[in-house]
Amino acid sequence: MVGAALAVAAVAAAAAMIAGAVLPARSRVVWVGVCTALCATAGGAAATAVLTGSSTFQANFPNLFPLGGVRIEFDALSAIFSLATAIVAVPAAIYGIGYSAHGPSSRTVQIAWPLLVWSVMMVPAAGSVTGLIAFWELMALSSLVLVLAEHHHNVEARSAAQWYAAMTHLSLLAIVLALVVLAHQAGGDSFTAVRAGAGDLSPATASVVFLLSLVGFGAKAGVVPLHVWLPRAHPEAPSHVSAMMSGAMVALGVYGLVRVGWDLLGGGPTWWGAVVLAIGLASAMFGILHALLSSDLKRLLAYSTTENMGLVFIGVGAAGMFAPSGNRSLASVALAASMLLVINHAAFKGLLFLGAGSILSATGTRDLDRLGGLARRMPVTAATFAIGSLAIAALPPLNGFVSEWLLLQSLVHSLPSNAAVVAVAMPVAVAVVALTGGLAAATFVKAFGTTFLAMPRSVEAGQAHESPRTMQVGLVALSGVCVALALAPTALTSPLRRVSAAVGGLADGAPIRTNGVYLQLSGIQAGLSPLLLATGLAVLMIAVLAVVRRGRLHRTVRDIPAWGCGRTVQTARMEYTATSFAEPLQRVFDDVLHPEIDIDVDHHVESRHYVQAIRYRMKIRDGFEHRLYLPLLAVARRWGDGARRIQNGSIHRYLAYSLITLITVLVVSR
Amino acid sequence: MSPTGIAVAVLQVILTIAVAPLLVGMMRVIRARLEGRVGAPIRQPWRDLRKLLRKQRMVSQNTGVVFSIAPLVLLASAALVAGIVPFLSTTSALDQVGDLFAIVYLLLLGTVFLSLAGLDAGTAFGGMGSSREMTIAAIAEPTLLVAIFALSVSTGSSNLGAIVADTLANPSKAASPASMLAFSALAVVTIAETGRIPVDNPSTHLELTMIHEAMILEYSGPDLALVELAAHLRLVVFLGLLANLFFPWGIATTAQPLHLLAAAGAVTVKLIVLAAVIAAAEVFIAKVRLFRVPELLAASFVLAFLAVTVSFFLV
Amino acid sequence: MSTTRFVQLLDLAAGLVLVTSFAALWLRRLVTVTWVIALQGVALAAVALVIGAYEHETELVLIALMVGVLRGVVLPGLILRAVRAGDEHREVESLINVPAALLAASGLTLVAYATTRDVVALSSTPQVRALPLGIAVMLIGMLLIVTRRKAVLQIMGVLMLDNGIALVMFLGTSGVPLAVELGIASDVLLAMFILQVLTTRIRTKFGGTDLDQLRELRD
Repeated sequence: MVGAALAVAAVAAAAAMIAGAVLPARSRVVWVGVCTALCATAGGAAATAVLTGSSTFQANFPNLFPLGGVRIEFDALSAIFSLATAIVAVPAAIYGIGYSAHGPSSRTVQIAWPLLVWSVMMVPAAGSVTGLIAFWELMALSSLVLVLAEHHHNVEARSAAQWYAAMTHLSLLAIVLALVVLAHQAGGDSFTAVRAGAGDLSPATASVVFLLSLVGFGAKAGVVPLHVWLPRAHPEAPSHVSAMMSGAMVALGVYGLVRVGWDLLGGGPTWWGAVVLAIGLASAMFGILHALLSSDLKRLLAYSTTENMGLVFIGVGAAGMFAPSGNRSLASVALAASMLLVINHAAFKGLLFLGAGSILSATGTRDLDRLGGLARRMPVTAATFAIGSLAIAALPPLNGFVSEWLLLQSLVHSLPSNAAVVAVAMPVAVAVVALTGGLAAATFVKAFGTTFLAMPRSVEAGQAHESPRTMQVGLVALSGVCVALALAPTALTSPLRRVSAAVGGLADGAPIRTNGVYLQLSGIQAGLSPLLLATGLAVLMIAVLAVVRRGRLHRTVRDIPAWGCGRTVQTARMEYTATSFAEPLQRVFDDVLHPEIDIDVDHHVESRHYVQAIRYRMKIRDGFEHRLYLPLLAVARRWGDGARRIQNGSIHRYLAYSLITLITVLVVSR
Repeated sequence: MSPTGIAVAVLQVILTIAVAPLLVGMMRVIRARLEGRVGAPIRQPWRDLRKLLRKQRMVSQNTGVVFSIAPLVLLASAALVAGIVPFLSTTSALDQVGDLFAIVYLLLLGTVFLSLAGLDAGTAFGGMGSSREMTIAAIAEPTLLVAIFALSVSTGSSNLGAIVADTLANPSKAASPASMLAFSALAVVTIAETGRIPVDNPSTHLELTMIHEAMILEYSGPDLALVELAAHLRLVVFLGLLANLFFPWGIATTAQPLHLLAAAGAVTVKLIVLAAVIAAAEVFIAKVRLFRVPELLAASFVLAFLAVTVSFFLV
Repeated sequence: MSTTRFVQLLDLAAGLVLVTSFAALWLRRLVTVTWVIALQGVALAAVALVIGAYEHETELVLIALMVGVLRGVVLPGLILRAVRAGDEHREVESLINVPAALLAASGLTLVAYATTRDVVALSSTPQVRALPLGIAVMLIGMLLIVTRRKAVLQIMGVLMLDNGIALVMFLGTSGVPLAVELGIASDVLLAMFILQVLTTRIRTKFGGTDLDQLRELRD
């Protein structure tokens, strides 16, 4: 069953790529979309089969590559990530049909898109070092092509692609190093062999391998300080690709970290977890602060991806800290929280990126300060974006709240603990998660409020129309997933149990139990019922409505002008913009962010007392980029300049180099 | 979920809604008396609400669905919380449905909807109010959750019923440094979240200093009544949390009518005492500048943080 | 006094010493900060009093009374005079803003707890369990000295540092010999007088005690 589904997925992906290569422009988009959706559906079916049954799937293709074969191993940990991929990929593929019709419909893009979906689906399924690296590189290259999709009319895309290419290949280097050490030690490249051989590693080597994989996979997850590519690359890709990258591809960084650190290596000392936790805390704070102050919608969403991956890292790190001190059941809860967040994040971040794509194609702008009033013109986009916003702000009764609740429960019940580092870290972690939650609420009030409410702030926003039907289908499907995950998270209890059983170095047992509609945790006396919370809210709203708005008087509504401080005309220029909405919080966090603010005041020619125009510019520098990357780049450039002096184009000099090399080789290997 | 549990929850919701405006009326009377005024009678807030409910709905142009449903969500979330918080009895059916974290996020849901409604009309004041409200809500969040952390460390659960039962079983806990620190932290947050002096002034009519009032400037008639009632209810919910989490004596552990009656009396007395203290304190305190509010909340965060450290190390 | 009541009172008094040191970072008016320091002295005396009463040591009770008078009344009174005499700015001026100072202080408290874990693990008496509080008060006193601009506030920081040391001694040794405490207190008193005299001199000569401005005297 699993094998058949994976085969179907591969065939569908191949068909989609062929369709992208040979069909004419109009039908190309449709067939690529349909076949990609089919591929993702098949992958999702395989994942569901593994997560609900207790079987795993293995297959071997020994002669696929000259040096090593590819092994497929599909266990519960793989399946949960493939499921997350399917959740975002199926609606994104359908959405892509409408989105590409007037946008990125070129052959290259239409070939790269199914390849990206299939490779993201298959990275977790790889069961050997070679397989993992092969699918990983396929994923990196296809996504790079897609980031460049709109490069001819977008200069930003080129610089974004450069950053992305550099970071992704540096990360690949770290991953390859880590995996090669493991495979060398084990004497074989299948994960089974590696797992068996990892026990013989010295603690120091194991830690080096872990740190290398943390760097490699952390860069893919976009966590601080390896995040620099993320807020550049994700906004520049076509929106359904952004959804795929932010919702599913980024999560594979977490997959790799958990797979190598706590499955293949079998876990390590407490400080592994502490490092991951610290990175998670920094990423969550950094990501949400930058998202809060960003006025570019897609950039905001990209920064929020850094934040969410930070939260996932917090869960993984907490689990990694609990497990060595023997608190396995709590570690299971923390891991379950992370995995649920990965699934939820795929749903709501995918949804929000698709929504941002609809806005972009309807208005041509991503600048929040130029949007507004879209709720009337784009009701479907508005409603679905609202669901995504409430979900990502972790508000009940939507799905983000369930994972946030699980994460908080696992952090809160860590005390009393024997390890000093746990006792010190957990209060800080709870505070950061709380602040992140509050700031996320503010961020998405800003994003939704300035995009969809009040009056349009530009002509383009005033003339927007609802997106084509296929795009709406994608949006509605993903918001349906969000709602389903919100109301019935209890359905995920047994899958999460299988996942935690698959990660031997971290967790065991059943993290979450269900008691009817209640979620209950192992070892923790706490309960939650998202379904009943939602029901309670709905019942109370209906009750209030029944009591208050029953009379005829209340059914007839009178439209009146808004109060304009005595002015009769209210214009869009009087509205709060996204920038002004975030200004109080920007002032609160001034010392952390150091924004550069320029205010130019043009005075009237006649008198200094009359102001003609005020220009306000705010730029927030990425502290890491400024302090860490630019100096590194400067060093690299100096090296490059040095190299250029050696390589000056003279054929004689090159021949002289060959001669010197030959002599050196002869002398050394004498 | 037993029928009596549901009955207790419904009873709590109805009683708190009935009491909330009266409590606010009482606070206004106390304040007026201390300032040397006579003040309006205690039932004045109810009269205002009744008057507003009889008026026609008027909605400003440009607004949409969010503006219309925000009062409903706000009131429903506050009422749901009133059903979860053990006002009368620990046997409420909603006790297992949500814990303290759920309460915090439910209240945040109401705040978020009201802020969106403030943006919906497109006026400068609405946006200003929303922006400030979300600022305060965001930086109050760490204090709230860390205070909950402190409470649940000593109990081993973040469930309200469990915390109350634990304090009832070990009365000495109420006087421990951890619980006193957590109480002070939550008290500061209560003031910030319910828009009282020194964070916001509920009776101001100067737009530039307003937070909550600026946000709801466009509401009138029955919608305004809902928003006002929800604001009163949130105050009672926060005070009830403070009262029964830290001083749970008198609360019923069964659902027998007599016990419930006694519990109602006890919680009323506690609410009156807390409200009177706040009202009296407001006479002597000046509102602080908006950008000094983070200092206040940082102090409350420190209190909550100390509560966690102390509860772990001093037990 | 029953043991549970003793533990409660001790924790409350020691907790109050810590909370007052946070309050001293939080408040802005110099006079209020001085009152808070006085309250800290009283709370410190209460710690000694509680321990003395529980262990029936009259000597400790005596020390408690002296500490209360010295640190709760005499020294804050002197500082208050210095504050009132300096008629310049009545507000605290700091190198870092208040929320940052508070967060730093909470971090220091965590450090205090984390570093004293091994000591605390050695003994399970309630006094020793509260020992980290004393260390935390010391660290916060140092923070106050490092971050504040005015000489008067630095005197207060020294006093707070000393309060922390005294708290550690009370909790760690359950009863300091009277002579030691007297010696230390007289040292502090001496230092106070010297600083008092110095600040008065500086003020009469340069008209203020802002340290950043004083730095320019170096050349």
